[in-house]
Amino acid sequence: MTAIVTNLQEVLSQPQNKLIERALANKMLPVGYACSMVPIPLLSIKPLFPVRLRAAGITSTELGDLYLSSVICSLSRSLLEYALSGEYDFLRGFVFVASCDHLRRLYDNLAYCQNVSFNHILDIPHRYSEASVEWTIDEFQRFAKKLSSHFGIGIDNECIMQAIHKKEELHAILRRISEMRKLPHPPFTGTDYHRLIVATQIVPIDDAIQLAKEFYEMVTQRGKVPPQRARVMIVGGNLDDPTFTEIIESQGALVVADRYCTGSFPELEPYETEGNAFEIMAKRVLALNRCPRMMEGYSTRLEYILHLYREYAVDGIIIESIKFCDTWGVETSAMVTQLREMGIPVLRLEREYRLSGEGQLRTRVQAFIESMGK
Amino acid sequence: MAQINFKDRFVSRKYKLLNWLYIAMMAIKNGPYDMTRDLIKYPWLWELLKVNRLLTKLTEGRTGNYRKAIAMLIHEVTKEVIHLLEGIFHRSDMLVLHEDMVPPEILRAMGLSPWMPELLGILLPLLEPRAMEQYIDVAENEGIPPDVCSLPKAVVGMAQKNRIPPAVAVVTSNLPCDGGMTSYLYVQKNAKAPVFRLDIPHNFKDVRAEKYFAGELRRMIAWLEEHTPGKMDWDKLKVICEERNKMQEYELELWDLVSQKPAPLTAEAVYLGHLWFFNVCAGLKSGTRVFQKLVSLAKENVEKGIYALDDEKYRVLLWNPPTLHAIDLFVWAEKRYGVSCVMDSMTFNRLPFIDTSSEESMLIGIGRNIMNGPMARHTRGPIENYFDDMFYIVKRFNIDMIWMAGHIGCKNTQALNTIMREKCRQNNVPLLIIDYDLSDTRIVPREGIFAQVEHFMENVMHAKAKKIA
Repeated sequence: MTAIVTNLQEVLSQPQNKLIERALANKMLPVGYACSMVPIPLLSIKPLFPVRLRAAGITSTELGDLYLSSVICSLSRSLLEYALSGEYDFLRGFVFVASCDHLRRLYDNLAYCQNVSFNHILDIPHRYSEASVEWTIDEFQRFAKKLSSHFGIGIDNECIMQAIHKKEELHAILRRISEMRKLPHPPFTGTDYHRLIVATQIVPIDDAIQLAKEFYEMVTQRGKVPPQRARVMIVGGNLDDPTFTEIIESQGALVVADRYCTGSFPELEPYETEGNAFEIMAKRVLALNRCPRMMEGYSTRLEYILHLYREYAVDGIIIESIKFCDTWGVETSAMVTQLREMGIPVLRLEREYRLSGEGQLRTRVQAFIESMGK
Repeated sequence: MAQINFKDRFVSRKYKLLNWLYIAMMAIKNGPYDMTRDLIKYPWLWELLKVNRLLTKLTEGRTGNYRKAIAMLIHEVTKEVIHLLEGIFHRSDMLVLHEDMVPPEILRAMGLSPWMPELLGILLPLLEPRAMEQYIDVAENEGIPPDVCSLPKAVVGMAQKNRIPPAVAVVTSNLPCDGGMTSYLYVQKNAKAPVFRLDIPHNFKDVRAEKYFAGELRRMIAWLEEHTPGKMDWDKLKVICEERNKMQEYELELWDLVSQKPAPLTAEAVYLGHLWFFNVCAGLKSGTRVFQKLVSLAKENVEKGIYALDDEKYRVLLWNPPTLHAIDLFVWAEKRYGVSCVMDSMTFNRLPFIDTSSEESMLIGIGRNIMNGPMARHTRGPIENYFDDMFYIVKRFNIDMIWMAGHIGCKNTQALNTIMREKCRQNNVPLLIIDYDLSDTRIVPREGIFAQVEHFMENVMHAKAKKIA
């Protein structure tokens, strides 16, 4: 195993990783966020840096179950559990989006249970329109004011644009890496790529760029991974545990494309880099159409999946959703039917946030690969 | 419990007869051929014929004006259901499917016939407790996760089985929950009609949100004018809004009366009228008449010193929608423990009247009603609304305890149950959380719901149960 992969594994192993510790020592301020619709550049204005909330290594969710009940998705329960057990004490604040019933109530319960000094929920519309863009611009401006006054930092168009450029610098490297997945025999596994993508979401941007550069160097110098039985794409909501991908790949699949909240698409779609920063962020957040909570975007989400399916020469699609997620739960039902009608092999996996039922997962993936005749 | 006398029996029979009369008139108007065809096409029509069973169930043991109020309400709802069905039978070219958080007032002002797909999910379990289970099964077989709320699941099932009438357009929204919002993917697929989606902000309390939503309503009107034969008649909307305001005035008077201890009217006499006339057909003259009548019945009781219950011992606030498939919960609890349900979260609101001075003010007022509707304000909205309203009601209506109808499919409210427990404890308000499913008796049957109430009343409230014949 190469040094960069070991490094990524270490970064991913716990919420307060070594890069965050170094940033804290440098007086940087980490702010946790729990949804891809958060305007990341606003949280990247120094000394702030965004940390995607994960519950790496969580083993149980007693407090999460108690407050949120057992019918709320295990991601929300796990995040609450970690927050209440002090795992996020290093964070200087939390940012949520009223994106689904589960995350809204996570925000409410966190606010009730803990005296969090900065806890904000963004109200982002459920459709893309001129009015919704205006609303979102206003929402982000209010949020920027709140950040500015709470953390005592100046936020203007110039510094947000700088943050956008920095983000775009990272995305450009990641896109170059991602492109290699289109090769018949890519030089890295989906698991390693997954590790990289998640790691870049939980460390300061300069460290993320460094990790991406090292990864790029490693893969350009390394040979191809041995041929696998089938090329698959993973689609769905939050998936921040690369072990999930590892198990899928252990059965002979190679994950060559990903379209989920914590993955590379649609996140890696290029940012606009000229203009009004608030407008750029608002349009991007609404137009990327990541989640079924964008109620008018079903067909474009499906088209995007089909586009990736073709671009990355995918053999089969795995749609994963966390149990109790209503938006992905309902949309997946419709999507699976439609994709199968098109003759595309699809495996639907309903899972817990925490990796569980490993044996069952292996069996299902194995059967899926066999069903494709691979 | 007072004895049922001749007058009480007469009241029930009168309204039962009237119900049959209206049903017969509807069948005659539809014609034998069309009626038969519609009964085959929409088998749920058979369930609606059981309305008099509901009347019997909800008037059992209730006497005087209380009985009269409930029988009258059921009859008025029957008339309005028939009126809505006429839209399906005779004006299908004007029929618009609208989700439960889309204001039908606007559709009516445009000359369109509204039909709410969720309506049957609410009505049918009242008439036949297991009515929705076949549709829930269809949805789950389609792949809809079983943990999604049974109301949208039933809608998906009905759509899959083609039990939702064809319409010229579908109007939906992002409310009241994720399950409700996403279920319209299936309604859209099966309706084969253009779909419009209203976007409703989460933080709706400021002017910004009201303006945004009024803009959404304007967009909806323009879209409906483009996709349906409907044309907006602002004068008609003004009449509808003014009528709604009048109805609301009467309702506020009714609340003043029921806040008295003991209450002159309770339970269905308070919530059924609101559930129907404010949510399904607000702004009709019939609604105003119904509330006027309820007020006069309550006043008469107060003047004569008569109360809904002879021995009101406990006043309960019902949180969440009523237990649809065990709708006689309060009929039973009144007799068994002297429990009076004086207010519920679906009924209660604190909103100004709709300002009818301009088009914009009407849209803002209608929008405010939707954004503050219980499923938006409490179920989905910020936590403050939930608890502020809860303890305000406790004080305003002299509440002794809260019964939370803990519908398992309602994730928004399930996720607040522990905070609710802690807050009730802090405020010394006994709380019962009833585990059940809104429209699926297989999760917890009626007997299971009653057993939970019994355990609570006997162990927490130390109430003495009366034997019921």
